[in-house]
Amino acid sequence: MAAPILRCARAGRCWSLGSRPRRTRALFAEPVPGRVREQSSAALQEPRPGAHEWAAVVGLEIHAQISSNSKLFSGSQVSFLAPPNSSVSFFDASLPGTLPVLNRRCVKAAVMTGLALNCTVNKKSLFDRKHYFYADLPAGYQITQQRLPIAVNGCLTYSLSVGAHWSPSATKTVRIKQIQLEQDSGKSLHDDTRSQTLIDLNRAGVGLMEVVMEPDMSCGAEAATAVRELQLILRALGTSQANMAEGQLRVDANVSVHHPGEPLGVRTEVKNLNSIRFLAKAIDYEIQRQIEELRNGGKILNETRAFDEKLGCTVSMRDKEGKQDYRFMPEPNLPPLILYDAESLPTAADPQQVVNIDWIRERLPELPSVTRGRLVEQYGILPEHSFALLNEDGLLEFFQTVMKETRAEPKKVIGWILSTFLGYLKQRNLAVSESPISPSSLAELLSLVDSKVISLPAAKQVFEELWQNQGKTTGQIIQEKKLELLQNQEELEEICQAVLAEHPQEVMAVKKGNQKVVNKLIGMVRRATEGRADPIRIKQILEKQLQ
Amino acid sequence: MLGLSLREVSAALKQGQVSPMELCQKCLSLIKETKFLNAYITVEEERALKQAEESEKRYEKGQALGILDGIPIAVKDNFSTAGIETTCASNMLKGYIPPYNATVVQKLLDQGAVLLGKTNLDEFAMGSGSTDGIFGPVRNPWSYSKQYREKKKQSHHRADEDSDWLITGGSSGGSAAAVSAFTCFAALGSDTGGSTRNPAALCGLVGLKPTYGLISRYGLIPLVNSMDVPGILTRCVEDAAIVLGILAGHDPKDSTTAQDPVGPFTLPILRDVGKLCIGIPKEYSAPGLSSEVQAFWSKAADLFASKGAKVVEVSLPHTSYSIVCYHVLCTAEVASNMARFDGLEYGHRCNVNVSTEAMYAATRREGFNDVVRGRILSGNFFLLKENYDDYFVKAQKVRRLIANDFVKVFNSGVDVLLTPTTLSNAVPYLEFIKEDNRTRSARDDIFTQSVNMAGLPAVNVPMALSSQGLPIGLQLIGRAFSDQQLLTVAKWFEEQVQFPVIQLQELMDSCQTFSQHKKLASVSLKR
Amino acid sequence: MWRRTLRAALRAGLSPGTTGAVAEARAARVGSSRFAGSDSGKAEGPSPGGRVSAELIEHLERLALVDFRNREGVARLQAAIEFAGQLRAVDTDGVVPMESVLEDRCLYLRADDVVEDSCVEALLQNSQWTVEEYFVAPPGNITLPKQSEQDPVTES
Repeated sequence: MAAPILRCARAGRCWSLGSRPRRTRALFAEPVPGRVREQSSAALQEPRPGAHEWAAVVGLEIHAQISSNSKLFSGSQVSFLAPPNSSVSFFDASLPGTLPVLNRRCVKAAVMTGLALNCTVNKKSLFDRKHYFYADLPAGYQITQQRLPIAVNGCLTYSLSVGAHWSPSATKTVRIKQIQLEQDSGKSLHDDTRSQTLIDLNRAGVGLMEVVMEPDMSCGAEAATAVRELQLILRALGTSQANMAEGQLRVDANVSVHHPGEPLGVRTEVKNLNSIRFLAKAIDYEIQRQIEELRNGGKILNETRAFDEKLGCTVSMRDKEGKQDYRFMPEPNLPPLILYDAESLPTAADPQQVVNIDWIRERLPELPSVTRGRLVEQYGILPEHSFALLNEDGLLEFFQTVMKETRAEPKKVIGWILSTFLGYLKQRNLAVSESPISPSSLAELLSLVDSKVISLPAAKQVFEELWQNQGKTTGQIIQEKKLELLQNQEELEEICQAVLAEHPQEVMAVKKGNQKVVNKLIGMVRRATEGRADPIRIKQILEKQLQ
Repeated sequence: MLGLSLREVSAALKQGQVSPMELCQKCLSLIKETKFLNAYITVEEERALKQAEESEKRYEKGQALGILDGIPIAVKDNFSTAGIETTCASNMLKGYIPPYNATVVQKLLDQGAVLLGKTNLDEFAMGSGSTDGIFGPVRNPWSYSKQYREKKKQSHHRADEDSDWLITGGSSGGSAAAVSAFTCFAALGSDTGGSTRNPAALCGLVGLKPTYGLISRYGLIPLVNSMDVPGILTRCVEDAAIVLGILAGHDPKDSTTAQDPVGPFTLPILRDVGKLCIGIPKEYSAPGLSSEVQAFWSKAADLFASKGAKVVEVSLPHTSYSIVCYHVLCTAEVASNMARFDGLEYGHRCNVNVSTEAMYAATRREGFNDVVRGRILSGNFFLLKENYDDYFVKAQKVRRLIANDFVKVFNSGVDVLLTPTTLSNAVPYLEFIKEDNRTRSARDDIFTQSVNMAGLPAVNVPMALSSQGLPIGLQLIGRAFSDQQLLTVAKWFEEQVQFPVIQLQELMDSCQTFSQHKKLASVSLKR
Repeated sequence: MWRRTLRAALRAGLSPGTTGAVAEARAARVGSSRFAGSDSGKAEGPSPGGRVSAELIEHLERLALVDFRNREGVARLQAAIEFAGQLRAVDTDGVVPMESVLEDRCLYLRADDVVEDSCVEALLQNSQWTVEEYFVAPPGNITLPKQSEQDPVTES
């Protein structure tokens, strides 16, 4: 699925104009003048007199499934789409007497993610039990880290685009409150015909990282961009595949509205957001809903709402009457998790039993923000190009492969990739991986343009043909369609001469000073050459001949 | 033969004086004949005989696995045993057949031990009498001993055989009765607040509670995860050490086991008692302590002193709060551990199907007895957000104070503490049930449960018979991971006091079970 | 000599012997089955949750999915709460809560290997109700009816 390119002005209506009672203003870049009217919270604007301004506050709780072979506390396989209950250990099924044993890989993943998000990694963290009854929670409690999670106090920086183009003039930061390790629950499949629920525990016990983002965001677009950036980071680290459609990344949003300068409003929790696009939509809907509710004199309930994709709105989930109390208790079967750094590393340590934060930090893979910077430097492309390259799954690799195999300039290649290639993909709703044109083919085509074997318009034609994927190579198509540029200077001069001879009036006009007619003559020559002549050369020849 | 120690019978097996099959059959017969004790919930006759047969083959080839090969043992019914019903004496798990063996069970089986069956307990190990399980109460074999009967006649009590029987103590009463009545040579119990030491004292056995973290709890259906340990019940200290040696060690399946290497647990003879420092905690002179137990306690202290040991009074100032502290922490963990019993994946399931919650509630109502349900509710109360700090965290703080009391005492040069194990000898069942479970537990666990809170090793050693002819035992408590030293002292003490063997001759004779060995019980324990 | 002290303690009549004024006030209470509320100098006003309200009962029953069944159950809880109230008498200023005796140990880490094969038959075998290879639960988590809507509380 192609990821949407997020445009603040179009996708989200950003509500908070004017000051917000938040400390994060200092982190926001100064807005580009003239374009900020609809940008969220970037400017310190006075509320327009008479207008009843609203500010929205959005926080996120994100659950990312850890990419590991086995589960967080047991040795059963982390599988997707396995037959029901086929990768469930005795511990996952909560058989009495079974005990949790922590997976080292999950710890490492959490540390990597924490470091990438600029968190403080706690050298000592603890596990707790969170109690509630649900059919997909066999033990009647979830093991999580409530008191002392593995990482705290980080931040994530993301860039919003303004207007129609990708010009990341607004850099935002959202604070990461904490990252904690916890168990995933099983899956319930509701069978309404037989009035029963089928329980599959394959997912029960899979390791999750819960990333809590503070309510520093103010609209759907901001939240969506932040989540997108987190996705890119997780994928770059390899700690989670973070695919929302497959449930590897789940986002719950906490939304509230208030008048600028007044205290924060009651918040609702919005769940069941299965894609970045729905995430933005749901949040914006909920903001709007709350504003209207309050405008009409109603109250906002502290409740949980689900996003209904079909209706495009949030619906109140049937809430439990009476309050929920998770009765957190320390997990007695897991002693404290101790992490080390270069200084505190015990000398005779078993490497299997030791997780060294410094060692991990030194080997952290390149993060998206660094990648973008590197691309700009390496290829001389614009920053917004690098954003666009990373924003589409597989596009960066595609670009880099093309660059390796072509002699064309990066700037030219980027243009092709971001407008023509991407355009074709979007039109047909395809992912990069589904492209009928391989990077090698495109590389070849661009090389031919660069060496002036064919003209740009001809290349576009070839591209179209290649896309139809009829098995023909670039060379074959060019030959068939007779698209090669006429290189022969004499031949060209002859044709030009002929055209001039046939159109004495136009010649006269040019000699009288009408330059526009030159283009007409160029056009005629082009037609005469069946488009196989480079317009620039035609112009040169004609100009010479017209003197 | 059945009255021998582990070491002795193992030697007999090796020398061919008896075969594993014979031994197994004898034990199985005796189990049948002593069925009225209600010590066993499940007897695995076929399986046991098969194991015995395999053991026999190994002995014939001279390839015995070790000292436990061919030795009949029993396991408390809260340990998971693959393919064998494990009920915890609760309706909730009636019919539940675990697909795996607890690590301790596996270790015993790997050594060739013959598992005779699963023993009776209080439901989910909650209780101090082994009277509150769905399979009924366990009877103390001493109720039928010559020693007890004679004393009763002397005091002109009606020798009402059937209704006046005594409790075993609990919650590992089934295991205690099984060992005490010679149906097996060792049994596994569990100890959370004294559940192994208490019945050991009342049944005249050695009951060892090892250091927390020494033995794997994987497969032990938990009561209080932060205090439970598998317990070992045997007829002499050395047997307990042998079993400990097999069971101790890191288990990668249990994150609460110590990763450092442990052992060995062979017990040297304690030669220099003079180097020992015995501590007598003054706060353990609790109300309710019978004068007889006090006297024996005093006598024991005397004994140590007379052999040159330094015997000092020490103080464990927070002893009086240990019951309350235990009460809060125990019920809170119970509330949590019992949350998994909902009927969905295993165990009892009710017929209600209106909604998941209704189904869970009905299943739990039908599956748990009052004791369990009461503790779940209390525990949940203490874990409520508004109560958590006042009760649970407070209790955790008191726990630290209690544990620190012990640390201070051991740091002051004391090697081993000497205390009573129980308030008195075993009482008749009818008297016992007059009070409710929690009251009893709170009272009976007083000498034993602070040890669980501190995670220390402790052992009950039977000392002598009371004026009623019933066993009185004393408890020795050691430093964490000093189990070997503790047992060394215990072995010396055992040798000094020469606790008499239970005389169940009349019982045996009337059963007429043995073809060859009629006069069992008068064999004294040889070294 | 320890002997004299022990005998003295025994003769003194079974007091727990804890030091301090506070402890003396509690002397008679150890091990007894009387659960009087705390009244020592350290009491901080009425005990939280001292009385078991109907609201609390319902709240606990819902959270624990275990019912009190009858008045005896409620009385039991009341007694348990009062009993636990005795903890307030202990001075725990500056004491760090002890979660487990293992607090100085490090958590054992397992390698990320798949060591458990599919054991679906073994798992399903113990369940009373399965459909194909799924466990079966009733529909949804519909909340239990309120107390008033249930059957009246029965005497034991």
